[in-house]
Order: sequence, then structure tokens, then C-alpha cells
Amino acid sequence: MAHAAVMQPPVKAETGAGVYNEKLGMWVFLGSEVMFFTALIGSYLILRVAQPGQWAQPGEILNVPITAVNTFFLICSSVTMVKAFASIQEGNQQGLKLYLILTVIIGATFVGIQIYEYSQLIHHGFLPSGYREGSELAEHAAAGELPAAIGLYGSTFFTMTGFHGFHVTMGVICMLFVTWKAFRGRYTATDHRGVEVIGLYWHFVDLVWIILFTIVYLI
Amino acid sequence: MEQTPHVKHPPYVWVWVGLAVLTGLELAVAFLQHWSKTAIIIILVLLAVWKALLVALFYMHLRFERNRIRLLAIAPLPLAVILVVAVLTEYVF
Amino acid sequence: MATMAAPLEPASEPHAHELSFVKRYIFSTDHKIIGIQFLLLSLVGLFVGGLLAMLMRWQLGFPTEPMPGGGILPETMAPGGILLPEFYNSLVTMHGTFMVFFAIMPLLVGVFANYLIPLKIGAPDMAFPRLNMASFWIAVPAFVLMVSGFFVEGGNAGAGWTSYAPLSANPEYTGVSAGQQLWCVSLVVLGLSSILGATNYITTIVNMRAPGMQWFRMPLSIWSLFITAILTLLAIPILSGAAIMLLFDQTLGTHFFLPPGGGQPLLWQHVFWFFGHPEVYILILPAMGMVSDIIANGSRKPVFGYKSMVYAIIAIGFLGWIVWGHHMFQSGMNPLLGTTFMVSTLFIAVPSAIKTFNWLGTMWRGSVHFTVPMLHACAFVAMFVIGGLSGVFMASAPVDIYIHDTYFIVAHIHYVLFGGSLFALFGAITFWYPKMFGRMMSARWGYAHFFLTFIFYNMTFFPMHGLGVGGHMRRIYDPTQYEFLQPLQPINTFITISAFLLFATQLIFAVNFIVSWFRGAKASANPWNDTGLEWTTPSPPPHGNWEETPTVYHPPYEFSSPLVEEDSLMQSQRLEQPAVSQAER
Repeated sequence: MAHAAVMQPPVKAETGAGVYNEKLGMWVFLGSEVMFFTALIGSYLILRVAQPGQWAQPGEILNVPITAVNTFFLICSSVTMVKAFASIQEGNQQGLKLYLILTVIIGATFVGIQIYEYSQLIHHGFLPSGYREGSELAEHAAAGELPAAIGLYGSTFFTMTGFHGFHVTMGVICMLFVTWKAFRGRYTATDHRGVEVIGLYWHFVDLVWIILFTIVYLI
Repeated sequence: MEQTPHVKHPPYVWVWVGLAVLTGLELAVAFLQHWSKTAIIIILVLLAVWKALLVALFYMHLRFERNRIRLLAIAPLPLAVILVVAVLTEYVF
Repeated sequence: MATMAAPLEPASEPHAHELSFVKRYIFSTDHKIIGIQFLLLSLVGLFVGGLLAMLMRWQLGFPTEPMPGGGILPETMAPGGILLPEFYNSLVTMHGTFMVFFAIMPLLVGVFANYLIPLKIGAPDMAFPRLNMASFWIAVPAFVLMVSGFFVEGGNAGAGWTSYAPLSANPEYTGVSAGQQLWCVSLVVLGLSSILGATNYITTIVNMRAPGMQWFRMPLSIWSLFITAILTLLAIPILSGAAIMLLFDQTLGTHFFLPPGGGQPLLWQHVFWFFGHPEVYILILPAMGMVSDIIANGSRKPVFGYKSMVYAIIAIGFLGWIVWGHHMFQSGMNPLLGTTFMVSTLFIAVPSAIKTFNWLGTMWRGSVHFTVPMLHACAFVAMFVIGGLSGVFMASAPVDIYIHDTYFIVAHIHYVLFGGSLFALFGAITFWYPKMFGRMMSARWGYAHFFLTFIFYNMTFFPMHGLGVGGHMRRIYDPTQYEFLQPLQPINTFITISAFLLFATQLIFAVNFIVSWFRGAKASANPWNDTGLEWTTPSPPPHGNWEETPTVYHPPYEFSSPLVEEDSLMQSQRLEQPAVSQAER
């Protein structure tokens, strides 16, 4: 169990959540993010049950090996994030800076690989609207090797992973800001709220991906 | 000179190993040939939930937070379940 | 675990008198200024929404006649002053959209959550003042985006404020392309503003209550704003997701809601109303809370059954999540699912009824002073009962077969939103105006506005119940095209004339509001002899609200308390001997 020293506020307030404002605020905000992804992921689940014939088998269209590696990268970035937090809890400024930079790099790599994956999919003919006419995948479909129409597959895939990627990108940008502040020595063992709060967001984004990877790529 | 407080950390690296192992397991299960699709789906979902719990409990520190924060964290989940289950009845029945 | 706490006041904030005009009034982080900014923005939204309704009413009252002054509208909207059906559709859509998202919601939440929460709980400002400023400045481009739809080719969105797919998803069906996309984008942007605001309100109420401001000493206005913030936080993202999927159907060729590609129109309805029903509770709960404050003040009595009022608010917040299907009884949804929604909808009438009886119980044997805010609050109770009763009819799925999508529904909507929320807002604005601007609104013009509004409002909306039962459908351009509706047309004309008079009457409120700002009687710290914490600081309050954080000793609404001579006991008033107040006895 890790304990940080307590920062006394100058004026007493009524007992609230028992955690400082920024942490409470981030947990509250994450509640709204859960609902946002519920709308997208829930719609995916419903559409898949309604029209199962529009989905290919795992790995037939999507590139599972690359995404599995990418998943591993994102998990690694969660470790580096929590190591950054653990470092500053002990007052280790060097560790904080190192692990934050690693988190940024790995996070950006994740986005980069996703963009590469998207470009490959589009190149082969997998669009948000379904097959691109005359593409390689469309020909496989015409030959009966893939479902005749995959409009819903494309719609849900690109929307869910696209908005997840958007959230990762926003996370990387905020992480850069936190890293910059770390380099300016703004975090201490007694006050490192910003590190904990960006950490919560980052782990949440990782958590969403853990769900997405399973239900989008493997099922 | 900053005093360096003695801090006892949760087993972050072991959790990382667990996450990697579970991911590997998922990959293995997903491409099993002779199991029913339903069984595969159930196992994969359980594995994903286990991974998600590891991240939530250890990296987001919910294991060590007070009940109020845990309640806050899980509060939206029943709503998500209600929406999806209710709308699924349109297609399942 | 980590128990770091933040100081209540940001360390590096300069004193107010050092800030430039821009930082003090334009990009202010002071919750009171932001509240007033929202007030100005949403009063403009209210005016726009009302104007659009006037154009609609002209068409319904006088379907074949050119509108006086209609010549200023372009040929694409109203050639020769006669509205085109497509333009009428966008009027219907935009009236609803503006009123819900850019008038009532920002008025209740953007204004009063911002203004009242820190003041009534004893905090110097919101938990995240800069995020608060961002909330407002994100709402402004959303407003601009929504208005700009009128100026693009194809006109503004025309699929109703509920934007049902596939009508809204395929431009071929409405002829509207860019306008419908702007609708989606605008709401996603506004949604971000609302979510950030909700984060702020919840954190502030949970963590920044002054010493002694226990949960069950909070005024009902704050309780209702708290539950509303939770509803906002969790429901708005659903709309964001839905609007994004709709936008992608419109622009990227996706098939979420378009049947030819396997899309599911029912999915839109379910997802939209899963947001939409909590949304209507967002539109009524703050009004109920503020009405409680005003009625207690006007009756010089504590709110009857304060604790049950709190539980009723929480119950409405909970139950509001499981009733959404009652908007979809005629959609072809699974009838078994429909039945569960009928049961839950009938249930949700109970907490609202409890609140109604408690308001009556508050006034019963009180020393009632019919101030302008009190009149509005009483009108709220009466009109909300009417709106709620029509809701019971609609909750019954078999009855809904006949009245769904008719003017009976329109009557219900307007009785709860205008008769309910808007009357509460007129009362609340009048009540807190002195605190906001340091001046009183004119009571004489306030009474005139109230009585005329009340009369014309009932003349406008009550007959709609009859129209609806007579079969008059919603969103229809020319009712006279149907023979069975022709006998009802005189009612439409009557409603139109009443609506014009109603709209014109609001000029009184607008003039009162503007003139009082400069010429109103100077207000003391506590002109209504109220008990809340906001009345212990000058009107308007300084930056930081108090020199020293107040300490709370009493529950809210300690009117006619036996402990003191005066008929109101401020929440922070320290008494000589330790005493037990009425509520805690």
C-alpha cells in the first residue's frame, strides 16, 4: 500500500470524496467516457446480433498479429505510466522523467501503428462503408470467400477504434504537457496530482483497448 | 534536498506479466479449431474482463481506494448493461 | 491511499482589481461571471426559439396566407411570404433544438448551477475555474454552428429535434445535407461543454462544501443541480455517440441506421431516447429545486418533508434511466419490452407527486407573500401538475396508440417545459437577479409580465390537448389538407393568435431585465429575507464570494424559527446557546 504525505488545505471543508479535487474530477469525467464508449460499443454489439452475416471471421480482414503486438505496447505504456507515478511518490525525479518520456513514445507508437493498420486496410479495400469497389477484398467477397456485404463491420470497426485512437492521441498530448511540467520540476513527492490524474486517464484508455481488442479483433 | 518517503508499491511488474500472459492466452483461444463459437466467446470475454480488472484494481489503484471511489468507478456500468440488454431483446426474442 | 488535498483557492490567482477588462468579463474564470455569460447566451437562444415558433404558428394558423413581413425571407425559405414545407420542417426541428439545448438547458444548468452552487454551499468558486471558462467558450461555437445551418444550401436540419434515422441519415429523404451535419457537430461540441460543466459541478458539491454544510443541510436547489449534473454526465455522452454515428452515416457512407446496408432505425431511437429521457429530467429537476427554495421563502416556512424531497429527486434520477421506451411505443419495438417501460413510467409519477404534495404542504398554513418569484413558482406547481397528468395518459401504451405524435404530446411537452421549467426560470431569474446584478427588477412590470404570460400561455397550449385527441398530428405543414382536421382549424387560428400575444408579452420581461440592470432599485445583501448562504454576502458578491469561509449551523429554510425573533434564520448565523432547530428536533 503506497501512502503519500497529506497536503493540508488552509480552510477545512466538509468531508467529501476523501480524495483531492483533481482526482475526483478525473474519476467523474471517466464516468462520462464509459458512457460514450457504451454508445459506440453497445451499438456494435446490437448490430452484430441483428446482422451477424456482415462480419468476417477473426483475422480474415483485420491484422491480428500486428494488433496483438500493438496491444502489448499499450499495456507496456500503462506499466511505464504507473512506474512514473511510483517514482514521484518516492521523490525520484529522474525516474519520473524517464518513465513519462517512455509512456509518450510508446503511446505515440501505438497511434502510429494504428494509422499504418488503417492505411493497409483501406488499401486492401476495407472502408467504413464496406468494400471498396474493385478492391482485393471485394474480389474475395465475389468469390464467396468473404461475406457479400460488410458495411456494418466497417462502420463499427472504424468508429470504435477511431475514437479510441482519438482518445489515445489526446492522452499523448496531455502526457507531453505533464512531461514538460516534470522537466520543470513542478512535481514533488508531496504533490504530484497531475501525474496521478493523467495516469488514471491513460489506464482507462488502455482498459478500453483491452475490451476492444477482444471483442473487435478476436471474436 | 527532498526527503524520499519509504513507499511500498503494488506489484506493478507482476501485473504486467499477468496481462501479457492473458493476452497470449486470448490469442491461443481465439483460433482454436474444435471448440464451439459460444464457448470461445465466453472464455475470451472472461479473459478480457480479467485483464481489465487487473488494470483497474492495480494500475488505477482501485484495490486501495476507499469504497466511495470504487462506487464512483462502477456507477456507469449498470446503465451500460441496461441499454445493451434492453435493445438486444429487440433482436433476440 | 494518496490523500493529497488541494488548497481551496488557487495559489497564483491575481486579485480581481488587477485583471484586465478582458480577463474579468470576457475570459473570466469567476463562476458568477460565467453564469451571467450563460444567461445572456441562453436568453438569446430563448428568443431565437420563440421566433421560430412564431413562424411555425403563422403557417398553422393561416396556412394559405403570405406572412406579413415575410418578404424579407429568401426564396429558398418562403417565396412570396408563404413558407415552404421544407422550411417548415426545419423550423419545427430548430424550434425544438434551440429550446432544449440552447435555452432551457443552459438556463437551468449553465446559469444556475454555475451561479448558485459555490454561493449556496459556501465555496469561493468552482473546483476547476478554468475548465468552467472553457465550458462556456465551447458552448458559443456550438450555438454558432447550429444557427449557421439556416444559411447553408439545403437549409437547416429538418428531421425533428429527435432527428430520427433514416430520415436524418440520408440527404435524399429531406433534401437537407450540410444542415443536418451541422446539427450533429453542434450537439457534439455542446455536449463537451455540458460534460465538462457536469464534472465541475459534481466535484464542487462533493468536495467543497463549507464546514457544517452537511449533505442534508444543502438547499433543494443544490440537491437537484447535483442529481442533474450526474444525469448530464452520464446521458450526454450517449447523445454524442449517437450523433457521431449519424454524422458518419451522412458523410462516410457507414450504415448504422440505414436499412439498405443492414442498419437499424430502431437502434437510433433506442440510443437517442436512452439519452433523451434523462435529458427531460435534466430539464425539470433544477426547476423543481429552485421552486422549492422560492416557495419556502414565499411561505415563510421550511419545505414540508425536506428529506422526502431529497429522496424523490434521487428516485427521479434513478428511475429516469429505465423509462425511455415510452417514447417508442408505436415504433414497432418488442411489445414485451414496451410493457416493462409502461410499468416503470407509471412508477416515476410517484416521486413527482410526492414533491407536488410537499410544495402544497409547504404553503399550507404558511404566511404566504405573493412576490413575483412566488407567483411564478406557484404557477410552476399548477402547470407541472397538468403536464404530469397528461403524461400519465401517455404512459399507458394502449392509450398512446391514439395520442402518439399528436398535439396531445405537444401540449404535454409545453406544459412541463414552459408551464414548468420556463415559469420556474422566470421566478428564479427574478429571485436571484438582485444577487447577480445588485439591483431589483421592477415588481410592477414583473406582475404584469406574469399575469399576461400566464393567461396567454394557457390560451396557447391548453387547446392543444383537444387538437391532439381530435387526431391533429405533430410536425404537419398544412393540417387543412385532411378533411377530418378541417373542423379543428379555428382552434389552430385561436392558438396562433394567443401565441403571438404570448411572444409579444415577453417584451415586458426583456425590457424589465435590461432597464433594471441600469436603473433598478439598488439591492441589499438579502432583499427577500432568505436563509441561504448567498444572501450573507453583498449583491453582487466579490471575487471569492466571502472574506472568510462561512460556517453552517442550521438546515436550509429555517423560516419562522422559534429560535430567533426575525422570521428567517440564516444558515450561517451563529446563535448564543447551542440550540436544536425545527428540522433537527
